[in-house]
Amino acid sequence: MFLVLRELRAARARFLLMGAVVALIAALVGIVSGFTNGLGDDTVSALRRLPATHIAFAAGTGTDAFARSALDPAAVRGWQAVPGVEATPVGVAIARGTTGRGVPVDLAAFGVEPGSFAAPAGLTAGGVVVSRKIADAGVRPGDTLAVDRTGVRLPVVGVTGRSAYGHVPAAYMSLATWRRVHPAARPGEVSAVALRARAGADLAAADRRLGTRTETRDAAFAAAPGYTGERLTMNSILVFLYLIAPLVVGAFFAVWTVQRTPELALLRALGAARRTLLGHTLAQAALVVVAASLAGGALAAGAGLALGAAVPFSLPAASLLGTVAAVSAAGLAGAALTLRRVASPDPLTMLGAAR
Amino acid sequence: MSLRLEGVTVAYGRGAARTTVLDGLDLEFAPGVLTALTGPSGSGKSTLLAVAGALLRPDAGRVLLDGEDVAPLGDARRARVRRERIGYLFQSGNLLPGLTALDQVLTMAHVARRRPARYRDRAAAALDAVGLAHRRGHRPEQLSGGERQRVALARALVLEPSLLLVDEPTAAVDRAQAGELAALLADCAGRRGCTAVVATHDPAVTEAAGRVVALAA
Repeated sequence: MFLVLRELRAARARFLLMGAVVALIAALVGIVSGFTNGLGDDTVSALRRLPATHIAFAAGTGTDAFARSALDPAAVRGWQAVPGVEATPVGVAIARGTTGRGVPVDLAAFGVEPGSFAAPAGLTAGGVVVSRKIADAGVRPGDTLAVDRTGVRLPVVGVTGRSAYGHVPAAYMSLATWRRVHPAARPGEVSAVALRARAGADLAAADRRLGTRTETRDAAFAAAPGYTGERLTMNSILVFLYLIAPLVVGAFFAVWTVQRTPELALLRALGAARRTLLGHTLAQAALVVVAASLAGGALAAGAGLALGAAVPFSLPAASLLGTVAAVSAAGLAGAALTLRRVASPDPLTMLGAAR
Repeated sequence: MSLRLEGVTVAYGRGAARTTVLDGLDLEFAPGVLTALTGPSGSGKSTLLAVAGALLRPDAGRVLLDGEDVAPLGDARRARVRRERIGYLFQSGNLLPGLTALDQVLTMAHVARRRPARYRDRAAAALDAVGLAHRRGHRPEQLSGGERQRVALARALVLEPSLLLVDEPTAAVDRAQAGELAALLADCAGRRGCTAVVATHDPAVTEAAGRVVALAA
């Protein structure tokens, strides 16, 4: 570390500049990751909180399956009779409502059977359990939500976690209430069936027999409106950032190595082993890249705090550390591209023999 | 350390452009004596230093350091010989930018894979021995050409090498500084008892040397 630290100090302006670029890339990766997580949560957190292994939709429903799928009571009963499967119907619809204080709120109305595994604790037949996101708008248990254009009034009987669907906060109600909120639904009709399937349950056979299409719960996230497109967009940005990071660091260290070729030749002439010079360069890169990535991660976390609940942003510690580690690894990979040059200076250039 | 070259041949280039710089050279250098290598440009002074300093493999012949032939050694083992047994003073531009004089000297301990912190006193003494105790905190750009060469000499001597190889040390310094540097080199060889070889064109250095070997072009 003797020369590593002294060279960093001697060329601090250059290393600070490079570190600032890496920090900004790490911050951007962190912020984009935060938005990716936040938007993902805002789209599918209600599905993620559903304690199911699979979701059965009507056969033939493609994208936006929760909106397009409609299952009749026979299909629901059929699933409830499949051996090794616990099944409960679910209705999903988007509605608008108004609080007792006149505040408009959007609702992702989830119709579930009270007491079923899909229902939140405290749900009653006539009441509604709202997401924490709705509670943040000032709605409290005991308040009443009036659903626009239907005249349905929903007494709030509880508040559950921050779940949302399609960027709309979730509100859980009984299926009978859900059908009043979603008058387009035919009697007995639901959107899908949530399943808890034990290993070995023959879901494919049940699908064929009941005219349904079953997906794992996580695969069903794609059924949420916009989820796939959002993920694709945000992940494309992340991929490009992860490609840019090693190129930036690699370019810097390539120039840095060319600039100090005479010093590397001197060290080789004095007897420094190639391994020593390689370790020296990698240690230098690691210090700068890791410190800069940490600074960038802190910037991203700070940005998340500053944004608060104004936008969907979620950067938990594990994601943040993952971001820092990934940017550091990408940066070090870039630095590693220059290692061949570090070991190549000819010590003989220090003597007149080579001139 | 005894240094003996036996039948050393070095040639550069290929085909018609091939030039033999050293042709079956036999030479022996005694400890405690500063030997000056003189001769016109192209006579092979620097090549001889490169071969003796395990920087260049000869095309033929043996390079015996204390009886061990270092000519056939691989790259890693020759690097080890350089850092453990040889001190170098190059012509110019041989200090690391941004490092203080003390750190320049300590760099040699770092290169030799020793803990520089343990060599601080020895490095300070080496700077004192070349008359630069008061410049230990100065960086290369704050030193004159002669002072830079003396820092490099302190670096070459801090690990007490048994062989000191010096290439045109006075090329970038004025006459007065050249005289001081030549005296320092002669003193180092005499007092420390190391084998010292200097390639030079400078009469100030040849006058200070105990032996002069003239190479022909």
